[in-house]
Amino acid sequence: MSNPVVVNSPLPDIADVLVIGAGASGSVAVSELAKAGHKVVCLEQGQWTPSSEFAGDKPEWELVKQKRWHPNPNVRNHPSDYPIDTTESDVNPLMYNAVGGSTILYAAHWFRFMPSDFQVKTMDGVADDWPFTYEDLLPFYEEMDHAMGVSGLADDPAYPEGGSFPLPPLPIGKPGIKAAEGMDKLGWHWWPGTNSIASKAIGHRPQCQRYGACLTGCPAGAKASTDITHWPTAIENGAHLLTGARVRKITVDKDGLANGADYVDRDGNERHQKAKAVILAANGVGTPRILLLSKSDKHPNGLANSTDLVGRRLMMHPYAAVVGTYEDNLESWLGPAGELMHSMEFYETDKSRGFVRGAKWNLMPSGGPLGMRSGYGGRPVDESFGVNFHKNLKKVFGRSFEWGIIAEDLPDEANRVVLDPKLTDSDGIPAPKLIYKSSENTTKLIDFHVDRALEAHEAAGATSISITKLMRDCGWHLLGTAKMGNDPKDSVVNQWGQAHDVPNLYIIDGSVFPTSSGGNPTSTIMANALRSVRHLVENFSSQVTPSSY
Amino acid sequence: MLNEEFRSIYSGMADELIPRAEGMPSASDARVPTEWIDRALDYRPDLQDGFLRALNYGKNKNPREAIQDLNTQDSEAFDCLGVLTSGAYFLNPEVKKLIGYPGQVPSPANDDLDAYSGMLAKVLERGPVYRPTVK
Repeated sequence: MSNPVVVNSPLPDIADVLVIGAGASGSVAVSELAKAGHKVVCLEQGQWTPSSEFAGDKPEWELVKQKRWHPNPNVRNHPSDYPIDTTESDVNPLMYNAVGGSTILYAAHWFRFMPSDFQVKTMDGVADDWPFTYEDLLPFYEEMDHAMGVSGLADDPAYPEGGSFPLPPLPIGKPGIKAAEGMDKLGWHWWPGTNSIASKAIGHRPQCQRYGACLTGCPAGAKASTDITHWPTAIENGAHLLTGARVRKITVDKDGLANGADYVDRDGNERHQKAKAVILAANGVGTPRILLLSKSDKHPNGLANSTDLVGRRLMMHPYAAVVGTYEDNLESWLGPAGELMHSMEFYETDKSRGFVRGAKWNLMPSGGPLGMRSGYGGRPVDESFGVNFHKNLKKVFGRSFEWGIIAEDLPDEANRVVLDPKLTDSDGIPAPKLIYKSSENTTKLIDFHVDRALEAHEAAGATSISITKLMRDCGWHLLGTAKMGNDPKDSVVNQWGQAHDVPNLYIIDGSVFPTSSGGNPTSTIMANALRSVRHLVENFSSQVTPSSY
Repeated sequence: MLNEEFRSIYSGMADELIPRAEGMPSASDARVPTEWIDRALDYRPDLQDGFLRALNYGKNKNPREAIQDLNTQDSEAFDCLGVLTSGAYFLNPEVKKLIGYPGQVPSPANDDLDAYSGMLAKVLERGPVYRPTVK
């Protein structure tokens, strides 16, 4: 595919709405705006990723996944990526820059936040409440479940209405049965996994083929990534998409209103797209980066940053892995990966534990023989190689699975995204730097949950158990860096994602989350994006726009 | 493409990492130094420099001594050697067969709800595990 590439050429001189980022939330925005008949242009720095490029159905999968398909952009170093300074971060941020964004590589755990996640201040006396409740978001969750073709089982007692899904659950497999036996002995909550992966053919998506390669892109096309769930229809409806377009800054008019964006195409041309309104959907690192880059006389501290909150309150969900090994061959290379099941037994606050909030547990298969992920090892030669290469393989391969623990980290203004003073991307644009430390509350939370996960494995009959308390390559969930709230003095956007400082600028990705929950955010990112964009569409006739347009 | 000298050095080092044992073939038995390593290097060109550095380390050394010293003195090169050698070994279909791994082949999703519905009924009996919205 040559660069730059425009779908639905030519681009309009002035777009009704410019969307920056073609990932989970940007896809929702573009779809809704195009359906409503608006002239919408999307700038995406990445490209399309055909499923034929994925390696999950090829012998070399485990070799290439550690580089070409690695979720850490600093390791992958793809031309679409920008570097990120992580020298002052406990956790590496993970993402994918392409049409479909990080849904290309996400695990597709389709977790719905629980009611308490929207009322952390009210219920637990810490952090903030969201400006709306679980019930307010519920219809948008349900709509997104269908848009993404989610597989799951209704009546999970972790939710008020139990939830129902368009497709039945994926198999929990032999690892799931084994883990359930342990949870059953302990009397703990578990439920078959909810995944945006097709357990049966739906629309143009085939049934899951259980390659277990979800985290490196689904070669079958069964996983719901928004390049296949949203973009085809959006393009049919007239949406304009420019790939290979890296935004340098959002521009403003004499009144301080957003009036478009400067960007660089892959031929190195500096270009500008005019727009009546701008939606920023570039993830919890990319969005504050662009806002901070967009300084002007009207916005000297960066766009929408009169509170100095842009980039602050970064939350990335520290992740612990507790892997159990069993006597039986559990065929634990089979997918989905994806979650086989989850547990919310210890999700809610119990202050007697010495910390607040909790974590979702997800049961994950263990992948192929070369190792599910890099970063678990570091053993001396004779432990991993020599005769022990074979002994370890026979003991572990196909016989182990992971209880993964997604720890809720609370917002802290010291955890932030800033512009790096030296590092730039390939276009010379300042790169982001992350300053992020895991808190004492998180440490206590992880210690408690790891101990419980050990008990879960022991109850299920594990013969050995290994623990990774904080996986460095775990920052999939990039949240909180443009806080949503009702008060312009302590938030960046209102409940509709509209910037308090710039009424024709909207932010609709995970940046706006006031708190992070203790689970996977994509379902909530997309439901919230849908809620925000519906509001914009319904009120577009009264939308403030630049006077010259 | 490895020259004959490097291929000979690599053969000794690869068999130190993956010897014939536990009913499994060595790296050489599985044609890693003569066939599969070339494919692995094609898949991971980013590891070639470290790999060649590891082989240079093995010149005029006993393979076991070379491996041990490499791990302590140039762990990055050791990692390149280890990943490529292990990855090449598992590319061999005969090795996959011996460890019972069918490889990355389709296995259509089945419905196994009946296998766990009894245990799940008890989860439902235990009741809600969430806190409702405070009105």
